[in-house]
Amino acid sequence: MNLWRDIKGTFQPFWITLRYLFKRPVTISYPEQKRTLPPRYRARMILTRDPDGEERCVACHLCSAACPVDCISMQAAERADGRRHAAWFRINFARCIYCGLCAEACPTLAIQMSSEYELGNRDLLKLVWEKEDLLVDHGGKDPDYHFYRHTGIGVVAPRGGNNDELPPVDIKTNLP
Amino acid sequence: MPTLIIDNQSVTVPEGTNVLEAAQQLGIVVPHFCYHEALGAVGACRVCAMLFIDGPVKGMQMSCMVEAKDGMVVSTEAPEAVAYRSQVIEWLMLNHPHDCPVCDEGGECQLQDMTVASGHSVRRYSGKKRTYQNQDLGPFIAHEMNRCIQCYRCVRTYQDYCGGTDYGVLGANQRLYFGRFRDGPLESPFAGNLVDICPTGVLTNKPYRFTSRFWDLQEALSVCPHCSLGCAVIPGARFRELQRVRAGVNPEVNGWFICDRGRFGYDYVNHPDRPRTPLLHGEELPWSEALEALQQRLSELIDRHGSDSIALLGSGRASLESNYLLRRLGEQLGTAAPVYGSHAARDRAARAVTDLAAKLSASLAEVRSSDLLLVMGADPLAEGPMLALAIRQAVRNGGRVMLCDPRPVELPCSAEHLPCQPQELPQLLRILAAGENLPANLQPLADALQQAKRPVLIGGSDLLGAEGSAALLAAAQKLNSAERPCRTMILLPETNSFGAALLAGDGPDFDQLLNDMDSGRIKALLCLEADPLTDCPDRKRLLQGLEQLEFLAVLDHLPSLTAKKADLLLPTTAVAEGAGTLVNNEGRMQAFAQVFSPGEPLRFTGQGGHPPRNFSSTTPGALPCQAWAVLAELCGLPVNLAEIRRELAAKEPRLAGLPELSAEGPGQRVLPGNGASSSVPPAVATADESLQLLVCETLYGSEPLSALSAPLDPVCPHPYVLLQELDAARLGIAADDLVQLTAGGQQLALPARLSSRMAEGLVIVPRLRGTELESFYPGQPPLPCRVEKVSTP
Repeated sequence: MNLWRDIKGTFQPFWITLRYLFKRPVTISYPEQKRTLPPRYRARMILTRDPDGEERCVACHLCSAACPVDCISMQAAERADGRRHAAWFRINFARCIYCGLCAEACPTLAIQMSSEYELGNRDLLKLVWEKEDLLVDHGGKDPDYHFYRHTGIGVVAPRGGNNDELPPVDIKTNLP
Repeated sequence: MPTLIIDNQSVTVPEGTNVLEAAQQLGIVVPHFCYHEALGAVGACRVCAMLFIDGPVKGMQMSCMVEAKDGMVVSTEAPEAVAYRSQVIEWLMLNHPHDCPVCDEGGECQLQDMTVASGHSVRRYSGKKRTYQNQDLGPFIAHEMNRCIQCYRCVRTYQDYCGGTDYGVLGANQRLYFGRFRDGPLESPFAGNLVDICPTGVLTNKPYRFTSRFWDLQEALSVCPHCSLGCAVIPGARFRELQRVRAGVNPEVNGWFICDRGRFGYDYVNHPDRPRTPLLHGEELPWSEALEALQQRLSELIDRHGSDSIALLGSGRASLESNYLLRRLGEQLGTAAPVYGSHAARDRAARAVTDLAAKLSASLAEVRSSDLLLVMGADPLAEGPMLALAIRQAVRNGGRVMLCDPRPVELPCSAEHLPCQPQELPQLLRILAAGENLPANLQPLADALQQAKRPVLIGGSDLLGAEGSAALLAAAQKLNSAERPCRTMILLPETNSFGAALLAGDGPDFDQLLNDMDSGRIKALLCLEADPLTDCPDRKRLLQGLEQLEFLAVLDHLPSLTAKKADLLLPTTAVAEGAGTLVNNEGRMQAFAQVFSPGEPLRFTGQGGHPPRNFSSTTPGALPCQAWAVLAELCGLPVNLAEIRRELAAKEPRLAGLPELSAEGPGQRVLPGNGASSSVPPAVATADESLQLLVCETLYGSEPLSALSAPLDPVCPHPYVLLQELDAARLGIAADDLVQLTAGGQQLALPARLSSRMAEGLVIVPRLRGTELESFYPGQPPLPCRVEKVSTP
């Protein structure tokens, strides 16, 4: 019985190879040819903008906390209007494993995964991207979400001016 | 000692413990907002609910409001209790904004933790959220009222515990508001505690705003270096920068709180001018060469002029280990014993205090439980702010405070103030020590002392001096008996003054050093974290002495005047950047752990933008070394802190507990000395008729480390001169007038402030570093002075 198995094992691979000689190849000659990716393909991260065109990132550090390889670092800062933003935001794509946990952790939908995957480089420093390299000029998958319209801290709208908020209470009134 | 059962576990707790604390003893995590160890329970937040199954009370109860009793059977995990708590959380979250990503409390927020723990994730209620306007509460505290959950912790801390009056709760029902009547800086010097106490992000640290997340900080248990009390603190650093300080817990010392000087005085560590490389005549050189140069230079001078030509200067800023190794270095080189402290009078006072039998010194915990506090020549808010808070707790517990002070001393509690002349204080103490009758105007004091059960005599070494401090100790000894313990607490000028003075023993003081420098015998001076040019009251003479030196070596982490004049400058680390031991004013040895390694803050190297885009094998500005390590290397000892501590404990029997000391725990008292030196000083002649100038420390601006801290700049006072109202009226001076002060060969034009609560015939100026008042030194006898009106504003 073992002999039969050996004979089969010797010839079957040749047969399969022979069969595929006459089929259309599935491989393409990358990088001359490129495959069309699925629309929701998740490669490198981007930093999107809110409907007003402002940076969505508030430098809350949740992405860097979620990152399993510690490739994100940033510094938060405050703008004159009270808006919290990233003074700088750096990701080391040489260390990034493209797991997407940063996008999942992002509470403002700033970080989203784009389909750009061609990051190979011989210079390690060229894989260290700053905020300017990551920022895009659109809102990504959810262009209408505006974090500051829901926070209630009065950066884009006056305090108490958002849809789900009451106007600020008058603490000096005696009325019930 | 009631025994009760919580979650099927039996626990025995002291009488008066509540069920929440009993559960915590078993290691059960009980959610709570309004309960706090230091503030007690009020039952306002309703999240510590437990189901009481059997015992004197039954049903759903707030565990913080129920006293533990025998026979209680309690469940924290009963389905009713879990449901109750999660519903309370959901209801607390009704109006809480959706702003955790931009909130500084995120990551260390009790509300966040409890919400996640209770399982609440989706807001089911679809009504609108209540909002508030915020207030500007000054440079330290940021206000975001929308996040409030009405636990009342801030009011109980600010008003009840800290004695502040300008912050409280306003409004009613749905409009409760925690704030001030109008915008303005919080007046209490303990306002920073609101940051630690707020269980959510209503009150956050303004200098630290948007700087880091809690989980990114490097933290370690440390000791506050900004006064001699040695409060427990937890500094936090990130990107080679010390970014904030929060209160540590030491029930024997500070309890749960710290003062604003300790909280916001940290920035000297990040000072841009701080020495970061070894410098020989202004030229950078590597450590190995710098140490070689130092050794070579010293041995050269010893060969030429003998070992007497080298002087060593330690300080109360340096750790116990560094100061000891300085002495050890002197023994190896054959020089005289080091001088500890650049201000001879302060040094002598500190030495008088270290002689006190350790059984007589009070901890802050004992101050808090005292029933009579006699404050003689101490300004707690300026010289040791947490002492003022401890005094307030004593008053809240029914204690009484009597102040004998020439200054208009402010306390955050009611006190009976008896103004007296500075030179009267030692005399008064002498009378107390001798057991004689006090003068008639001080009869209330005598009566109070007679009735008190646990009196504490509090003094300040600056005003009392060595003689006064010794008299205070003698008085305490006289009043102390087995049935009526009397304790003392004497505030010292620097964080490790006690330790330095203990090592100094009978060694020389700075006056002797000045004499030796004048005579030209001293050729080289090695300063360990000491800045004699700023601290020595006789600057002119010191400058002449320094001119005659052939070699001045300085080990320091501050950009001090002396460091700028040094031939050889060796950069050392700040407290947060190293490990060591400090001895506080009661003689408590406290170890501190290293928080982070020194380096130039990323804020400076990155110039505000992203960090530099280059690779480097070294960290910029990482050269400062721990002073004890440098000195150990110079002595040829192994660089091992534990070994140095063992050696020190063997040499100094009073420091016996040092090898077992760890940064955790309340620290350990030094052993009592022979305590023989508490002799009663002779009476001092009273001053003549002219005005006397008294120089005093202030809360901000006097202490050398915090004076270099940028967050404290907005609250540092501008120079002024304080006059007694009657004196001012005699001289025709009104408040805010510009007056000319002539004293000690100097003339200064300063705005006048008036007070009715200070002694007559006295003029007070604050010690303010970096201003024209820097040349007036505290801890000196009052100077004769003249005050003339220049103009009205």
